[in-house]
Amino acid sequence: MAKVSFEHVGKTFYGARDIAALQDVTFSVNDGEFVALLGPSGCGKSTVLNLLAGFENPTEGSVRIDGGPVSSPGPDRGVVFQEAALLPWLTVWKNVTFGPEVQGIPRNTFEPLTRELLRLVGLEAFTDSLPVQLSGGMRQRVGIARVLVMRPRALLMDEPFGALDAQTRMQMQQLLLDVWQSRRTSVLFVTHDIDEAILLADRVLVMSVRPGRIAREIPITLPRPRSINSLTSSEFMSYKAQIMTEMNVKGAAH
Amino acid sequence: MSVAPTHSPAAKPARPDGATVPKRQAPALSRSVRNVALAIILPVSVIALWQWAGTGGSLFGGVLPTPERVWDAWYQWAFGQAGLGLNPYSGTWLSNVLFSTQRVAQGFACAIIIGIPLGILIGWNNLATSTIDPTVQVLRPIPITAWLPFSIAVFGIQDIGSVFLIALGAFYPIVINASQGARDVERNLVRAALMMGAGRMTVLRRVVLPASLPSIFTGLRVGLGIGWTAVIVSEMVAVKSGLGYVLWDAYYVGRMDVVIADMASIGALGFLSDRLILMLERWVLGWRRMQSFQA
Repeated sequence: MAKVSFEHVGKTFYGARDIAALQDVTFSVNDGEFVALLGPSGCGKSTVLNLLAGFENPTEGSVRIDGGPVSSPGPDRGVVFQEAALLPWLTVWKNVTFGPEVQGIPRNTFEPLTRELLRLVGLEAFTDSLPVQLSGGMRQRVGIARVLVMRPRALLMDEPFGALDAQTRMQMQQLLLDVWQSRRTSVLFVTHDIDEAILLADRVLVMSVRPGRIAREIPITLPRPRSINSLTSSEFMSYKAQIMTEMNVKGAAH
Repeated sequence: MSVAPTHSPAAKPARPDGATVPKRQAPALSRSVRNVALAIILPVSVIALWQWAGTGGSLFGGVLPTPERVWDAWYQWAFGQAGLGLNPYSGTWLSNVLFSTQRVAQGFACAIIIGIPLGILIGWNNLATSTIDPTVQVLRPIPITAWLPFSIAVFGIQDIGSVFLIALGAFYPIVINASQGARDVERNLVRAALMMGAGRMTVLRRVVLPASLPSIFTGLRVGLGIGWTAVIVSEMVAVKSGLGYVLWDAYYVGRMDVVIADMASIGALGFLSDRLILMLERWVLGWRRMQSFQA
């Protein structure tokens, strides 16, 4: 569990034409908190996640985890990618054990945990399968298991369910809620799906378009444990209306 | 690589009523027999035509021997007794094949040992790209045949000159394909590995190398083909043994039957060695075959 903080973070991509992706982004994620970063495509929300992952470095401001600056990727921040990004030549089992293995963690420590996590995500029958033999949802579950096996302090998810069909997406959201409920890792979850943000998060950060800024911060106080049924409650609807207004107004202003 | 039986693409679901699904495709064995049959129609017709046209004895003014005579010459070359009679080629086929094959193997091994690591480095590291790649690209257009005088001057009439030319010829396609493969590695795979705590060397070995393998194998197949070209050219000029030497020697003494038997031998060796690489590729890249369209 960890506290994440962004302080006045700016990110410009220098090139033939400089692109200011982020400007003065300030927010924090508390210990064990689930924060959703919501915005239209191109608003820089994935850049925020890449900065926290250490894949990119900020051009202004600072990104910190538990007080220390983030400078490179590491197993304390587990990233779940949109297209799973599994190593296609490794079996499910070897994809999940890749992290602990390259870190030199003893086999007898991570093997039981791997077995437990594969059971948790419902893939214990597919340990010897290759990623290409799995469905999109199954691949994403491997992506989640391979991150959890490293016991990360924070979970970084970049539109992880964006490429899935509606039904699979709901199952995955439920699975994620269950996993988070039992492990209480801090989560930064990037999405463009309003329903998904409200259903999952303790707090929704709505971003505006280029340069990306945090336009509004909306705490979601829907009772937990939540389930797909929460989607139809009147409270849910009022959050949704609020966010839609926020996003539409910002969209119209540009 | 093991495959979960529950998800094997080959497993055909049984129909709920218990009836077996009728087979649409012929069984594998008869299909491959059919493929072989289809493949040999063309060469067999050409050979038959050639035999028919040459039987009068005046094919290209008698220069070109009939397939029958080529076959006799080949048989004598391969199984005749060495050192007896008037035929200097008698019984020397195998030793010449081995000479050439050994040179190709040595040169190809050098090309692999240098080409693959260098190619991956060029594709992966910006400094290596800017310091090494331009030199490779400038040297590459010089054909290996143009290196022949250089090679003879430096190494003399010796094996090593031939091996050098083979290594050089095979090196370019290997290094270029390896660097292309390393350049094209999906960014998120590298990021995922770094995120899981892999160091740079581990990423190179366990992500970049396997991800580049499909491209590397393309380079190996092209490189081996060039290796066979290089061994024949160099043996014609720079050494005194091997299929290339026999080819040129037989031409000088007017033994066109041996020339053609020699050409056929080179073709067969090139074909067989390519099959070997293809088999290795199928074995190493089993994961990829399942991804491809034909799977």
